[in-house]
Amino acid sequence: MPYLLSRWSELSRQLISREIKSRYKQSFLGYAWVILNPLLQMLVMTFVFSLIIRVSSLGVPYAIFLYVALLPWNLFANSLTHSTNSLVNNSALIKKIYFPRQIFIQATLIAKVIDFLLASIILVFFFLLYNQPLTVNALWVIPIFIIQEIFTYGLSLILASINLFYRDIQHLLSLLLILWMYITPVIYPIEMVPEAYRFIFKLNPMAVIINAYREAILGGNIPKLSSLAVALALSLITYYLGRKIFTKLEGYFADVA
Amino acid sequence: MSPNHPSSIIFSDLSKRYFKQGQRTLKEMLHDLFIRREKPGQFIWALNHITLKIAPGTSYGVIGKNGSGKSTLLKLIAGVTIPTKGSLSILGRIAPLIELGAGFHPDLTGRENISLNSAMLGMTKDELDQNLSKIIKFAQLEGFLDTPVKYYSSGMYLRLAFSVAIHVNADILLIDEILAVGDELFQQKCLAKLNSLKKDGKTIIYVSHNIQSVLDFCDRGLYLEHGQIKAEGNIKTVVRRYSLDMEKLL
Repeated sequence: MPYLLSRWSELSRQLISREIKSRYKQSFLGYAWVILNPLLQMLVMTFVFSLIIRVSSLGVPYAIFLYVALLPWNLFANSLTHSTNSLVNNSALIKKIYFPRQIFIQATLIAKVIDFLLASIILVFFFLLYNQPLTVNALWVIPIFIIQEIFTYGLSLILASINLFYRDIQHLLSLLLILWMYITPVIYPIEMVPEAYRFIFKLNPMAVIINAYREAILGGNIPKLSSLAVALALSLITYYLGRKIFTKLEGYFADVA
Repeated sequence: MSPNHPSSIIFSDLSKRYFKQGQRTLKEMLHDLFIRREKPGQFIWALNHITLKIAPGTSYGVIGKNGSGKSTLLKLIAGVTIPTKGSLSILGRIAPLIELGAGFHPDLTGRENISLNSAMLGMTKDELDQNLSKIIKFAQLEGFLDTPVKYYSSGMYLRLAFSVAIHVNADILLIDEILAVGDELFQQKCLAKLNSLKKDGKTIIYVSHNIQSVLDFCDRGLYLEHGQIKAEGNIKTVVRRYSLDMEKLL
């Protein structure tokens, strides 16, 4: 259960706002970076992948094609990176005061979701600019988003707790995320992947999730439910394992922090 | 508080060990996993077979040399760490006055830190609203509330931290060497506040190297050495035992 709704709601709120505010302190553009960063990323990638290397974007302008996938991918990558470090960064607190440790992870994830929603405003402009149609099936993004967050939360619990014991995790993660993005259809459509290798993508929840966003928003179709069901099942397993590992290690956090 | 009230803190044959090396890397772990098992001397036993009951409303002193396990005992009660063996049960809400100001954020103002710190100690928004003026008054920081705490003097810093912790409506207070806080006047004020909390029937666990203050403040106590109980019970008996041991060392 989210601590935002419990007697720790006040602490959750405070940690969320600290997470959001502190990152852009002492920067001239401040919170605008939340929007600028993915926008610039998208512009560069659009230049490379639609003008230099011509990646098929299924008849949709590449900028939109990419952005629909890049935003949720960034949400995933930022959430994992920051939550993996969240316990280590708060080790001074962990050693001295007891409160439910999962609050740190939850606060980080909620802060990233807020960043994501703000960054998504640009997408709306692009839709208007290119006159891109939307159907009622776009509402599928809601369940897809929920699956993504379950997966992210489970994985964050595992990575954050193990990182406290072995700081190797944070270094491995940044490498892993680069590789992971390449085996996820963010910059290219899943249709470009040869049939023989498609199974890798079915077992990668992020591939299913990213592809489903595109299907629902750009294709105007109902995403492939069987794939989504597999992604949901894998996400729930990850969440269950994450809870288990976190609770098992939680008592030792203060000894190693 | 009635004497037949159940104990608020019970240690049952509790032991706690720490890794000697603070931080291990994955490389070392993989090495240990495949090459050899646990080496002897890899751990340090901070507490050994502690069995203890502390009744509600007791003012309980904990004494012992450095490294005897006093701080580990407080950390276990605070719930910050868990026992390796044995068990610990606690009834009631805890206010830790250990390493005061640990939860403070230097860039935030006094007022912001009050809300952050009180939230960490489990105060709800309503409880804070009720107590805010009392916290500010006790800390004597009117006029500095909108200043970031990094510009506070160490005395101001500790006064604020003490004031927040003391206003958590807790049943059990954990106090570690904090009466060395602030100037003489503020110390008197803290002591008076602690005495009034004692009268209200709060359980107070008091760790100090200042034997006289332990004698003055506590009813019962514990003398720890190398993680083991050397003496336990009436504070006068415990302190006498400790003083005898110290004399032998001199």
